[in-house]
Parts: sequence; C-alpha cells; structure tokens
Amino acid sequence: MAELDRTAEAEPATYTINQPTRMERIIDHLKADWQIYLLLAPTVIWMLLFLYKPMYGLQIAFKDYSVFRGIAASPWVGFEHFETLFTNDQFIRAIRNTVTISALGLFFGFPVPILLALMFNEVLSQTYKKVTQTIVYLPHFISSVIIAGIVITAFSPSAGIVNSLLNWLGLDSIYFLTRPEWFRPIFIGTGIWQEAGFSSIVYLAAISGVSPTLYESAVVDGASRWQMMWKITLPSILPTIIIMLIIRIGNILEVSFEMIILLYQPATYETADVVNTFIYRQGLQGGQYDLAAAAGLFNAVVAFILVMSANSISKRFSRTSLW
Amino acid sequence: MPGVRLRNIVKRYGAAQVVHGIDLDVAEKEFVVLVGPSGCGKSTTLRMIAGLEEISDGLLEIDDRQVNRVAPKDRDVAMVFQNYALYPHLNVAENIAFGLRIRKEPKEKIAAAVEEVAGILGLTEYLERKPADLSGGQRQRVAMGRAIVRDPKVFLFDEPLSNLDAKLRTQMRAEIKRLHRRLGVTSVYVTHDQVEAMTLADRIVVMSDGRIEQIGTPMDLFLNPANTFVASFIGSPPMNQISAIIRSGDSGPVAEFGGQSLPLAPLKDLVGADGRHVILGLRPEFVDVTHKGEDAQVSVDIDLVETLGSEALVHASLNGDPFVIKTETGTDVTLLDKINGFNIDPAKIKVFDGETGVVLPGQELK
Repeated sequence: MAELDRTAEAEPATYTINQPTRMERIIDHLKADWQIYLLLAPTVIWMLLFLYKPMYGLQIAFKDYSVFRGIAASPWVGFEHFETLFTNDQFIRAIRNTVTISALGLFFGFPVPILLALMFNEVLSQTYKKVTQTIVYLPHFISSVIIAGIVITAFSPSAGIVNSLLNWLGLDSIYFLTRPEWFRPIFIGTGIWQEAGFSSIVYLAAISGVSPTLYESAVVDGASRWQMMWKITLPSILPTIIIMLIIRIGNILEVSFEMIILLYQPATYETADVVNTFIYRQGLQGGQYDLAAAAGLFNAVVAFILVMSANSISKRFSRTSLW
Repeated sequence: MPGVRLRNIVKRYGAAQVVHGIDLDVAEKEFVVLVGPSGCGKSTTLRMIAGLEEISDGLLEIDDRQVNRVAPKDRDVAMVFQNYALYPHLNVAENIAFGLRIRKEPKEKIAAAVEEVAGILGLTEYLERKPADLSGGQRQRVAMGRAIVRDPKVFLFDEPLSNLDAKLRTQMRAEIKRLHRRLGVTSVYVTHDQVEAMTLADRIVVMSDGRIEQIGTPMDLFLNPANTFVASFIGSPPMNQISAIIRSGDSGPVAEFGGQSLPLAPLKDLVGADGRHVILGLRPEFVDVTHKGEDAQVSVDIDLVETLGSEALVHASLNGDPFVIKTETGTDVTLLDKINGFNIDPAKIKVFDGETGVVLPGQELK
C-alpha cells in the first residue's frame, strides 16, 4: 500500500493538472462570455450558409457540370473551362472593361467623398450642413433601378434634359446610351452621384475623431483654415483613406453590375460588358454554369491577390492595414 | 505695464455666466498659476487669454496692447495643452517646427531654432521619431518645445502635467521651473493640483465658481488664507476646520467646540463677541503632539495613522469631523500610538467668520 502511494506521488501528471488545455480555455471563455458569442452567432451562421456552403459548388468550375447529374456526379474536366474563357474574346474584353471602368471609377470617384467630407467639415452653419448632407446622401437610398431610370430619362435623345441643353446651345442631340464612348463617363458619373455622399460619412466620422486641441494648437500657432485642412485634417484621416483604398482595390473587379445591366445594351457591350455581366449572361441566360463558375472563381482569386497585396504594401509604407 | 492685464473679464455661454469679472495683472517674466477645482473657470480664463474663447466682457491687454479682438496668432502667445496636441503624422522636429513653418520662416532659421530648442529640452536624439514612439514625458517636452521655439511674449500652460504619472510629474515640474528661470518668459499656468501651484508659482491665483478667491505668493496663501475655501484648497493635507463658538475667557477670547476649548489670540473682532459662530483653521503641520497625554489642550479620537517615513499623518476625528495631524516621528513610530490629543500656539490658529468664511482681520503670519 505504501509503495502504491509513492508511485502515485511520482506521477508527473499531478504537477501539470492545473494547466488548462487549449480546448478547456476555449470552453471557459465561451462559458464566461456566451452572451457575446450569441450576438455573433447570426452573422457567423449567415456567412457559413451563404458564403461558405456555396463554396462547395465552386468545383463545377473544373467539371462538365449538368444540372441533371448534380455537382458530385458531373465528370472532372480540369482547366478546360479556363482555357475556353481565355480564348474567348468576349471574356478578355470583359476583363479589360472591368479593369478600365474600375480604375477610372477609382481615379475619379475615390477622391470625391473625401473632398465632400472635408468641405462639410468646413461648413459652419448647422442648418446648411444638414440640408446639403441630406441632399448628397439621398441618391444612396434610391433603388438602382430608379437611378437607372433617371439616368436613361436624363440622357434620352428626345426629351432628356442633357440633350435639351445641347439643343439649346445649338448642338445636335447625342444618343448617349447607345454610344460606346459615352458609356463609361455616364456609368462612373452615376456611381459618384449615387454613392459619394454616403461614402463621405466614413471620412466625416474619421474627421470627428481628430482631437480638437490639434486645431486649437494650430490656431495659436497661426494656421489658417486652409492650412489646418491640409496639414491636420487630411493627414489625420489618412489611415482611414488608406483602409478604404485597400477595400476598393480588393473590389476592383466588382463593378456594380446591376447598374451596368440596367444601363448597357448590345450596342455598348464593347465598352460596358464586365466580368460579372459576362458571367450573368453565360451562366444564368446561357445555362453554362460551369463556365460562369470558372469566370467567377478567376474573379475571386484576382480580388484575393489584390487585397493581400494592397494590404501588405500599405502595412509596409504607412503602418496602416486591415489586419 | 508689459505682461498680461485682465480687467473685469467675463465669460458667458448664452445666459450662463461662467467667469464673473476677473481682475489680474501678470508682471513681465512672472510665473502665475491659476488653481482651483474642476469647473472653476481657470481653463476658460486661460483660453480667453489665448484667444480660443471669445471674451464676453472686460479688457485684455498683452504688453500694453488691447487684444480682445486680436486673432490668437497675432497675440504672440504660445500654449501647451494637457494632451500635448502633437501632430501624430509629423516627427518631433516637424512638430516643433510647425508654428514657424506656418509663419513661413526661412528654412535655415527654422532648422537652427529647432536644433537649439531640442538641445534645451534634451530631445536632440529623438528628432526623427513620431509622437507615438515617445514616452509621456518626452511628448510633453515636445509640446513645450513647440511653444518655446516660437519665442512668444507669453506662455500659456493648460494642465500640462495632468496626463503624466506621479513620478514624471514631479520631474517635469522641476524642468518647467528651470526652463522658466532660464527663458524668463511671462507664464500663466493652469492646474487643479495645489502642489504644482505651490512649487511653480511666483504668485498663485485661487479660483472658485468663476471668481478669484485670493491672489498671493505660495507662502502667503499657505500662511494667510483669505477664506475657508483657500484654506481647504492650499496645503497638503489641507487646513483642518472646526466649527466653534466664542466665549470670553480670563486671559482673552476662547473658542468652544464639542465640550472642549482653545484659547485664541486677542483679535479685535473677538473682544466682547460672546456667542459668535466662527470656524477655526488649524494647519496639520502647526498642531503639536509632543505633549501627548494628560496635558493636551484638545483630545481627539485616533482613527488611523499613516507613516510616511520621517513624518506621519494622524487621521483623527474631533467633534465628529475629520481632523488630520502631520507630525515628525523621527524613527520611533511606537510614539504614534500614544497620541490622544494636541496643543497649538494661539497665534497659529486662523479664525474665520462662521457665516461668510472670510478670515477675521489682524491675523497675518509672516
């Protein structure tokens, strides 16, 4: 009996028994903060159901998919769909259009909300500020279909206000929406009109986070409002600007395709057809789900690489990053 | 008069008046500290001098020039803020140079000035760092550097040490004092910490509820507080206050409280003032416990003794009110347990009017 006791004492496990395992720690954590995890649950479930579960279907990009056979039973074809895509002039054109529209949108559209926020910040009259903010936020809350309707009406060759103005100036009417060279300016302009105001909220929030004493200190130092805007406000919201830029670059292949579908027509495909509208036409209208899945996967992989690169470049040069 | 002059300065926010007519003269090269509890109007007053708040009424002069309507940048003042107000995207050198760059001073002049100021403040090796990479004390030094580099007529400090830990605060306090001696710039300094006020000031202005309670040198305020508010604000621990009634004794006036009594100095106001309600002010440092025991004039109930090394704080209660005694212990702390009362020199008891709290005349200590 005494011998047995000694062996029991010699067990090394008795010294480590108080160290909780990783799993135990996680369980303790869940028990302690279960309310917080409960709040998180709907989002996690939504993501699993609608973002992760569909990933199972991604494999059809590598299969000769048939609705009747189902995903699992369809035979593998390797990279055949990708080969088809990259030999398809329409797809190449769609990539080119996507990149061009996005890059132009980024170039012209990205600075607008920042400028708006800086301008709102300088408005002293509260009433004036509220009225103007409401006016620029408003288009965001209007459905894209209605926005497209407004655009189509405004640029209509017969009754549109734009052509009426041109006629009044003695110029001929232009068939804006059927002319490929006009699609991009109209599309990008519409995007700015619809979203710039609402996007400025992020920058306004960042501006309101700048310590007021920075401005007071600058006032005592003799800075003008203009100098304060350039030397304090703008550098202070630069991290926010960079984060927003990273997100925008990551989404560069995600042009708002509903708006394109609503505004384009075969006559303007040449400049208007983007990857997403191509996928829509091939997949949903043409029933080529496997080819569309391959195009979508390509889109996602490029977006992923873009986000990762933008993030690491930003981390390296400005110490600001998403993660 | 060169320096800063405030005449009947008033600040109103809508109908609410927060500063009720401040009169103050800050002489050239003088270091004046505005001290008072939160919300007493000291920061507002400072901000009015800086031009960050509009002056509702009254006259403000800097170097004999009325500046009520002069923009902050043209008042030739520099301000140091509580949270340092450093620009996070600029490095130390650029932060210090900011004011000069805004004024479009020549590059060589800026570089020389920054170098000199960095030398004075011991920041030379940190010039390339961003504020985020500095310690609290270093950030505070940069904030001061930004003020110094401008070479202003007046320095304004708005609680500059409040964000520092106790040890650093003591260090920076000494540094500010040294700096003032070296540069000799007229300074107005706001704090709620009476220790800072006592150690830094040439003169202290005690404020409460938007009014000046008393102006004087630190020792003047310590020895001769004008009223119970100043008495309770200056000194650490503050002056004990005992509510008492005056009686005429055989050898002069006597204060009675809770069945005990203390002889008082024969003040004119107390002669024949039997039954008058007064407040006695007893500095914890002036109370004498060396007699310990039977012959103590006043007995107290000891609650707690805090030993601080060479001295000790005895927390007691007298007449139901807290009463603190500060005493030298030497190293024999066992003596502390035997304290049950104290004596005090009548000349060191301050007598305040029981209703107004104003000190009765004729009690000035030197």
